[in-house]
Amino acid sequence: MPTTPQTSATILVIDDSPDIHRLMGARLRSEGWTILGASSGEEGIECAIAAPPNLIILDIDMPELDGFETLRRLKINPATLPVPVIVVSANTAPQDKVMGLELGAVDYVAKPFDFSELRARIRAALRTQRLLDMLAKRAHIDGLTGLWNRAHFDARFHELAAGAQRAGQPLSLAMCDLDRFKSINDTFGHPAGDVILQRFAEILSSIVRESDVACRFGGEEFVVILPGAIPEQAAEVMERVRAELREQRWTRHPERAVTASFGVAPVDERGAEAALAAADAALYVAKSSGRNRVVISGERAALRQAG
Amino acid sequence: MAERDNEALRSIYRDDPEMAELIELFVGELPERVRALREFFDAGDLASLQRLAHQLRGASGGYGFEPLGFRAEQLESALKADADAEVVRKRVDELIALCSRVAA
Repeated sequence: MPTTPQTSATILVIDDSPDIHRLMGARLRSEGWTILGASSGEEGIECAIAAPPNLIILDIDMPELDGFETLRRLKINPATLPVPVIVVSANTAPQDKVMGLELGAVDYVAKPFDFSELRARIRAALRTQRLLDMLAKRAHIDGLTGLWNRAHFDARFHELAAGAQRAGQPLSLAMCDLDRFKSINDTFGHPAGDVILQRFAEILSSIVRESDVACRFGGEEFVVILPGAIPEQAAEVMERVRAELREQRWTRHPERAVTASFGVAPVDERGAEAALAAADAALYVAKSSGRNRVVISGERAALRQAG
Repeated sequence: MAERDNEALRSIYRDDPEMAELIELFVGELPERVRALREFFDAGDLASLQRLAHQLRGASGGYGFEPLGFRAEQLESALKADADAEVVRKRVDELIALCSRVAA
């Protein structure tokens, strides 16, 4: 989710009139924006899908594919759906404005336009979009740990699972749960518990690879999606996390070490839900066979005994 | 807006450095558009004539020639309303007359 500063924003102008492209170029350049042009609805849609701009200025009165139909198509494509569109038209009839806004435009400017007004409206639209992007991103981030949250996991996991199946690439899933976390919380207080959650998230982030997706699943449970990794490789990564956590010294409770248990499973043709259940089952085995260990789905014995 | 018949029509942006080059370009290309207006009308190609009027209407204001946009709009409206050939001819003549007064 890019949060491009508005000074470097790219604006796509879709208009069949060469005059408008010239005028936009001259009048918007001073803002530091990059102005791209398309002279038909078809070309504009193609251009916007290939590289979604930060904003689209769309003319309504175009031959062939008119602005309303172009707008409708932009708004049904996931790639271009979030891009704010300002509709411009020489037609100021209220029903046209209503139509444009109902189809998803953020603003409607009548031609001939005053360019200082158009610039101000573009700035306002870019500002709003930046905030929306930020909110959307924040809605996917866990406030306490800064890791991705459950909502993000749900969205990404199915996407990555389907992608790995299509590409014939391995993909593993690791579930982690802090051991006896409730007892630590009860004994040392919630602030101590929060410190542990945050520290564990830091360890997780520092050890997993760039392409891995580390999420807080809820409470003291975490989940990591590891694209390209077979379960043994995923278990190796988790083993490093396990060891690192065990070595931590805690100022609030120096005498009490903190450990975690891990369950790893491959995501295969049985699907994402089955993999999640398998990782959870492996985590249960890790817990019931003594905690502080990593168990791969299907293993009966705990392979990596506490160190 | 007082439009005297022979006075040159100048862009309200003529002192705007951002616009100087574009205005010159627009004015330089105007005879070409006038020729096209005349040709489309003579050939009875009213769809192309309307298209041209529409573009002129949308762009003229941007170049700082609002009276030109107004004349273009009158022609476009007449064509949209399927006005009589005589009315259209009058609108075309008015628009062309105004174009000839445009100066950089």
